Amino acid sequence: MNFYLPTRNRVSFAAFSALFLVFALAGSAFAQQRVSRQYPAGKNVRIELKNLSGTITVETWQRDEIRITASMEAPAVHFNPRQTDTGLVIDIVADNRDRRDVGDANFKIQVPARSSVDLETRSGQISVSNIQGDLVRAHVWTSGDITLSGVNAARVFASNTTGNIFFDGEFASGGTYEFKSGQGVITLRLPANCGFRLVATAPAKKISMGEFWNKGMQLLGEGRRIIGDVGDGRASVTVTNYQGQINFLRR
Amino acid sequence: MNCEKYQDLLSDFVDGSLAPEDHKNVETHLSVCVVCAEARNDVGAIVGFCLEHRGEYDAVPNERALWLRISNMIEVDSASASPTAIQANAGWWFRLMNRSWQLSFPQLAAAATVIIVVVSMFTLVGLRGLGFTGGGSGVQSAGFVPPLGVVSVKDRYRQQEQVIAYWNERVELNKARWNPQMRETFDKNMSVIDSAVNDSMRQLSQNPHDEVSEEILNAALNDKVELLKEFASL
Repeated sequence: MNFYLPTRNRVSFAAFSALFLVFALAGSAFAQQRVSRQYPAGKNVRIELKNLSGTITVETWQRDEIRITASMEAPAVHFNPRQTDTGLVIDIVADNRDRRDVGDANFKIQVPARSSVDLETRSGQISVSNIQGDLVRAHVWTSGDITLSGVNAARVFASNTTGNIFFDGEFASGGTYEFKSGQGVITLRLPANCGFRLVATAPAKKISMGEFWNKGMQLLGEGRRIIGDVGDGRASVTVTNYQGQINFLRR
Repeated sequence: MNCEKYQDLLSDFVDGSLAPEDHKNVETHLSVCVVCAEARNDVGAIVGFCLEHRGEYDAVPNERALWLRISNMIEVDSASASPTAIQANAGWWFRLMNRSWQLSFPQLAAAATVIIVVVSMFTLVGLRGLGFTGGGSGVQSAGFVPPLGVVSVKDRYRQQEQVIAYWNERVELNKARWNPQMRETFDKNMSVIDSAVNDSMRQLSQNPHDEVSEEILNAALNDKVELLKEFASL
């Protein structure tokens, strides 16, 4: 079946389409507000971010500076980073306490590699890469994936209610590592020579130890919990997943 | 008369200038009080030394003025060190705190014994209240969970449910103001935690001593409370 429009109608249709596109693009440009700020920082800086909803991406760079880039959807959140003795605090929850309805705020944060990051959001993804500092904490109150890659921190805490958790990094000797999800897959990708003491609990799904399984490990509660040492067992690793699976992969 | 009073009289006692009755009283006290007897020996030694070496030193030019200066300094020091004068209308706590306590060894020992007995009793009662019976499995769950045998899992669940009901009520009050997306996200995640709670309860009903389920139940209930608290402020 062919649709045929007379020439005059075709011209007016094209004009209408162009006009629609212009307004649509202008609308989306006004709907999203982009803010970028830069702060001087030492090498061992600490970043705290408490977001309402939206994605959080933390990357490292070579400069001794922190750069925050926020893309805020309308109605845009108030955004007032506060410099402290140790670093930077961004508390979107406190800054927007009396506001009923606000749009997502998506953050991209660039920091020196030796930084510590403490990130929290009510919903949205958190992604952290190449942090070598003391602490990496990523907490999603409800739904959102957490991806920690190239992380080599002494303390790592990652938790969400719904969503996957992926960790690709190393465990420091004497370090503490906790991963917890309500529903989603927790995957830890580790180097073959890593050493840790493990308590992994998954009451509903399987715990797959892959090549990290050894005879010294204990299966408790009909396999719902695995306790045991891998390598020197000097890092402490706790993994809990209420309804999802736990996977260990060797790099 | 207490030791402080007897020691005030020691100098005169050593000099032999006390009235016969006072002299006898001090002597009787010194025979039973080791501390005052030692103080008497010290005063005696000082007085004896001074008597032996009398005349070996030049007399100070104005003995009276020197003594007055020393006396004034002692008065100033003792005034600053002495406790605050207690007013007649002061409260019992103020009086108690500003009272000068001087206890003999038997009194001190009795007081220490009473304190030890009372603390032991409170500790015992407290531990029993928490359910540390000493004969249990030895493995205690973290958080609100007391050991098995004292409070059943259902009782614990009921206790935690009361806290949850309180926060749930607060969330429900605010929920109408949330946008539909937030309501949906919250409900979806709450159902995930509820599933974990229900699964653990089911496991525990089949095997009441299932440690893994007990810990998961505990953790899930705590997570639920935390999530409700977080969203109650919205």
